[in-house]
Amino acid sequence: MSNILPILKKFDLTKADIVKKYQKDGRKIIGCSPYHLPVELVYASGMRPMGLWGSYGEISMAKEYFPAFYCSIVQRILELSLNGTFDCLSGIMVSIQCDSLKALGQNIKRTLGKNIPYIHVAMAQHRKIDVGVDFNEVQYNKVKAQLEEISGKKIKDEDIEKAIKLYNKSKILMREFVKLAAKHPEVITPTWRSKVLTIANAMDRAEYVENLEELNNALKEKDEVPWKGLKIVTTGILTNSYSLNQIFEENKMAIVEDEVAQESRQFRTLVEENTGNPIRALAKYLGDIEGDSILFDPDKKRTDMLIEKVKETGADGIVYVQAKFCDPEEFDYPLFKKVLENEGIKLLMIETDQQMTNFEQARTSLQTFAEML
Amino acid sequence: METKKNMSKVYTLGVDIGSTSSKCVIMSDGKTIESSAIIAKGAGTDGIDIVVKEALKKMNLKFEDFAAIVSTGYGRNSYERADKTMSELSCHAKGGHYIFGEIRTIIDIGGQDSKVLKLDASGQLQNFVMNDKCAAGTGRFLEVMSNVLHVSLEDFGKYDEQALDKLPISSTCTVFAESEVISQLAQGKDVKSIIKGIHQSIASRVAGQAKRVGVVPKVAMTGGVSRNAGIVRALEKELDTKIEVSSQSQLAGAIGAAIYAYEYYLKNQK
Repeated sequence: MSNILPILKKFDLTKADIVKKYQKDGRKIIGCSPYHLPVELVYASGMRPMGLWGSYGEISMAKEYFPAFYCSIVQRILELSLNGTFDCLSGIMVSIQCDSLKALGQNIKRTLGKNIPYIHVAMAQHRKIDVGVDFNEVQYNKVKAQLEEISGKKIKDEDIEKAIKLYNKSKILMREFVKLAAKHPEVITPTWRSKVLTIANAMDRAEYVENLEELNNALKEKDEVPWKGLKIVTTGILTNSYSLNQIFEENKMAIVEDEVAQESRQFRTLVEENTGNPIRALAKYLGDIEGDSILFDPDKKRTDMLIEKVKETGADGIVYVQAKFCDPEEFDYPLFKKVLENEGIKLLMIETDQQMTNFEQARTSLQTFAEML
Repeated sequence: METKKNMSKVYTLGVDIGSTSSKCVIMSDGKTIESSAIIAKGAGTDGIDIVVKEALKKMNLKFEDFAAIVSTGYGRNSYERADKTMSELSCHAKGGHYIFGEIRTIIDIGGQDSKVLKLDASGQLQNFVMNDKCAAGTGRFLEVMSNVLHVSLEDFGKYDEQALDKLPISSTCTVFAESEVISQLAQGKDVKSIIKGIHQSIASRVAGQAKRVGVVPKVAMTGGVSRNAGIVRALEKELDTKIEVSSQSQLAGAIGAAIYAYEYYLKNQK
C-alpha cells in the first residue's frame, strides 16, 4: 500500500478542487449531464468538460420545478444550478436520453439560460441505423458550433481526432484498472475504486491518463494477496456514495466488476479512430454502445453482460443499486432479475437516492446478503 | 422464578435491539431456551440493558458465563458487549427455523420495516426482500393508526375479529392512510371495520413483497406484529395459505442470534 497510496491520492480530488485548477489555468468549463455526451468535442475546443452528476445533499430549490417522486440525480443537478454552484461554468450541456433529463434541460434553459449558455444535445433513439447516425451527426455539428461560439475559436477535425484518441486511451486504461482492482481488493477498496473511476468525469483527461498509467503500473508490480472476502459485481446508474462504499467494505465485499453507468458503461465502448470524419465517429459511437438501460436496446443485452461478468470474475453475487425513480433502470430490473435467478446467480437490489443521509436499510440488506453468500 | 445455572452447559446470549422493542434470549448448547425477556423500548434506549439484566437474574448468570454474545436488530452495532453482529434477517431465518421447524417462507413485520425471507429446507436463507423506505406495511403504520383511533395496539386483533365490515384504506402511504382514517371517523364509520381495513391494507402491501421472492409453504410470521391476529388472518387470505405463528415469534431474532452465538463459539473452539 505504501507506494500505491500516494498515487491514489492524485484521484482524491473534489470537483471544486478541479474547477479551481481549471480557472487558474484560464480554462473555460462546460458542465455535462449524464450520459454519453460528446465530451471529446469539448476537449477539442480547449475547454474542459465537467461531469455534473453524482453529488449528494439536500434538494430544496429544485422542488419548485420537479415533483418529489423524480430522479434525484437530475434534481441535484438542477439544485446546484439554482444555488449558484455552477456559476463557474461557461456552458451546460444536457442530453435527452430519459424523460427526466428532457425536463432537466428545459428547466436549466429557463432558469439559467440567460447567464450560462445552454447546449441541447438531441440524440436519435434509433441510434444504430444510418438515419439515426445522420441525425446525431447533424446534432453534434450544432453542438460543435455552440462550443466554438463559447470558446471563441474554431474546432479542427484534427483536434477532435486527438481528443478521441486521448479518451479512447483513458477508456482502455480504465478497463485495465478494473481488472487490476479485482486482483488487489485489499488496496483498491470499493471507495478507492469508485473515486478513481468517477473523477475521470471532472479531471483533465490527459492528466487522468498520466495518473492512471502510473497507478496501473504500480498495481501490476504488486504481488496478489489471496482475498478472503466476497466478490461482487455492481450494476445501476451510480455507486459513488461514500456511505454505501463503506458498507461494502464493512462486509468485506470487493467490487470485482461493474455494470454501472457512471463507471464501466462509460468506457466499455470506444469511438472509432482515423475515420476521416471524427464527428460522425462520435455519432456512430452512440449506436455502438450495448446493454445500456438508458439507450434503446430491443435485445436487452445487459442481462447477458451481467452473467458474463459474474462468470469471468467468479463473483459471489450481484448488487443492483437502484437509483430511486430512475424509470429506465426500473424497467430493466424485472428482466435481469428473472434470468439471474434462473441462472442461480444471487442478486441484491438496494435503493438509493442523492439525498440519503441514513443508509441503515442498505446496511442491513448488504450485511444479510453477505451472510447469505 | 430463578433457575440455577449449570456450568456443564454452554450458555450463549442473543440480543435483538429493534426500533421499538428490545428482546434477549439465553440458550444452552445452542438448543434450549433457558431464559428470555422483552420490553417495549427499542434502539437508543436502555431497553436492552433492562431485558438482559432480567434474563441474567432469572438464570443467576453473569456476562462472564456466556461463551459468546451476538447482537442483531436495528441497534445491533451499538451493543458493545457483542462478540459479533448479525443482520436481523439472518437471525429471523435461524430463529424461525428453530421455532417452526421446516419452514420455507418467513414474514417478519417489525417496528419500522417488513421483510420476507425465503429459506431452503435446511433453514438456510436463500433470498429476501425488505420494504421500501416507507412506513406503510410496518408496525409504525399500526402505531400511527392506534393513535388516531385511540385504540390500544393490543386490542387491534380482537376488534378486527368483531368487525362486521372491512373499510378500504390506502396501502400506499402512512400519511395518506392516516387522513383516510380520519375521514372515515368523521363520517361516523365503525372503528372495528376501519381496523379490519387497516389490516387489509398492510396485508396487501406485505403480500406484494412476499410474491416478489415467491411464497413457498410452510409460511410463518415473526416479529412483534405477528401478535396481531387480525394481520395474520388478512395475510392468510391475501396469500391464500396458512401462516404459522408462535408465542415465541417476537423472539425469533434473539433466538437466531443466540444460536449464531453458539456457532461462533464452536468455530472459535476449533
